[in-house]
Amino acid sequence: MLNTFQQQPHDLLPSATHDERSRQEFAKSLKGYVQQGLLPGLAPVYQKRLVRYEGEHGAVPKDRRETRRMMIPDAYFQTYASANRVAQELLWESVLTAIQRQQPELNQRAQELSAKNASPLAVDPAKPAPRYVTGIDIHCMPGGYADATSDDDVSTGALYDRGVYLYAMGYMGPTNDDMGRSVCNYIRRNMPDFAPKAILDMGCTVGHSTLPYKEQFADAEVTGIDVAAPQLRYAHARAGAMGLNVGFMQEDASQTSFADGSFDLIVSHILLHETSAKAMPAVFRECFRLLKPGGVMIHADLPPFDHSDLFSEFILDNETHYNNEPFWGAMRDMDQIQLAVDAGFVRDQVRFDTAPMAVLEFAAAQAEGYSDESAEEVADRDFKAGEYAPGGGWEVLIGVKGGDPS
Amino acid sequence: MSDMRRYPRGARPQFFEDPGLDEAMSMILVLASELSVLRDRLDTYERLSADGKAPSQADVERYQPDEETLNAREAARQDLFERLYFVARKRAQEIAEQDHGQRYREVLDDAAGQPGSPE
Repeated sequence: MLNTFQQQPHDLLPSATHDERSRQEFAKSLKGYVQQGLLPGLAPVYQKRLVRYEGEHGAVPKDRRETRRMMIPDAYFQTYASANRVAQELLWESVLTAIQRQQPELNQRAQELSAKNASPLAVDPAKPAPRYVTGIDIHCMPGGYADATSDDDVSTGALYDRGVYLYAMGYMGPTNDDMGRSVCNYIRRNMPDFAPKAILDMGCTVGHSTLPYKEQFADAEVTGIDVAAPQLRYAHARAGAMGLNVGFMQEDASQTSFADGSFDLIVSHILLHETSAKAMPAVFRECFRLLKPGGVMIHADLPPFDHSDLFSEFILDNETHYNNEPFWGAMRDMDQIQLAVDAGFVRDQVRFDTAPMAVLEFAAAQAEGYSDESAEEVADRDFKAGEYAPGGGWEVLIGVKGGDPS
Repeated sequence: MSDMRRYPRGARPQFFEDPGLDEAMSMILVLASELSVLRDRLDTYERLSADGKAPSQADVERYQPDEETLNAREAARQDLFERLYFVARKRAQEIAEQDHGQRYREVLDDAAGQPGSPE
């Protein structure tokens, strides 16, 4: 099935010349080919290596680290992994050159669009982001989340917005909001009486997943927080471009300045694995502190490794080593339920579940390039390590804070 | 012109024994990308000049591909990748079929009528 999912334009999305767009399409197509064309060949290669390894060592690799050492010398693996890396580099390069060309205009437009968003934008460019964000540029995105060339610069936000669409090959939906939308749907289906009035989205970057909450709970005050000022400036302006009043504030999710019991619902989307072993437990503690009694915490991220399938675990852990994801592997060794319990949540009020992907809705809404057939293929597939679209749904960790809601 | 950072922080991993091959693999894919960009541009030009009138550069820049064009271009790129990675895919298939050089030599021996061969 050919993937021609298109990103829906908005007034802040950087434009592309004919050739820039073609370069972007090439990078996206190459990512698709690496996952659909090269990755399947790795399974028999792995099996062959396994037999040889067992002959030489008397046992198969005991964990993903040994599996990695076994696979690194393999010529096919080298081709696969290097193609994956180059696709990622071509992706950023193709977007970066387009943004550089129009950076002053984008920054100007961001200010105009921000004025249309009635909710606050609070950033402090002097406040540094934590080292786990600035030490290496996550996902190999040049400049990372936090680089800015001036105090009104939104260019890394623009880079992220277009980059996520290409990285996810459109599976995140025409506005890259599939995760937020999926969690919103999950709430609507499983907690039909829950009507949060104050909602916090932690690690929101440009607000892709934040905005669906404002659409779903129109009367609620929705706030996105992040440690990176350029992402927040872009997020605030993008919300303005989409006609939504959503606040964006520069706050560290592990230590915010909000008062106790400020929120009914706290969510995050692929945030936890971008933090650290020190910050992640603090994020859970902060969630517990910031929730009102009866409030709900939902983190949509990666479930822990269960070590049942070392090949998949090894493939997934390639992100750690080849895509600048410092905490990716280590995070998946942590007991997230226990972290929530340690933070104050009662054990039987914490659980993992699956929030079905919203991708079928994009086809139903006739978004450009989203056919029923291609969307159904995504919605019905089984999870396969190393492919972007997890298939079916997102893993969510849900915690409910005890006590009577006021 | 801005001073956006072009190279991401974090040491680039080495995939091949010879670091020159890492550079070459990147260069090959960049060239493939440029080939694909040129092909798209030619395709745009052909589609816009279907009525016999040559399009201007501005016409090419304004052009928005329709669904059919997007599909045709995506199919062309996937075909290009199939050819680019022919050898890698072939290698994976040999492994999946448990084929190897030893069997090749056995067939040679057979053909040559070596002692011990079935013929």
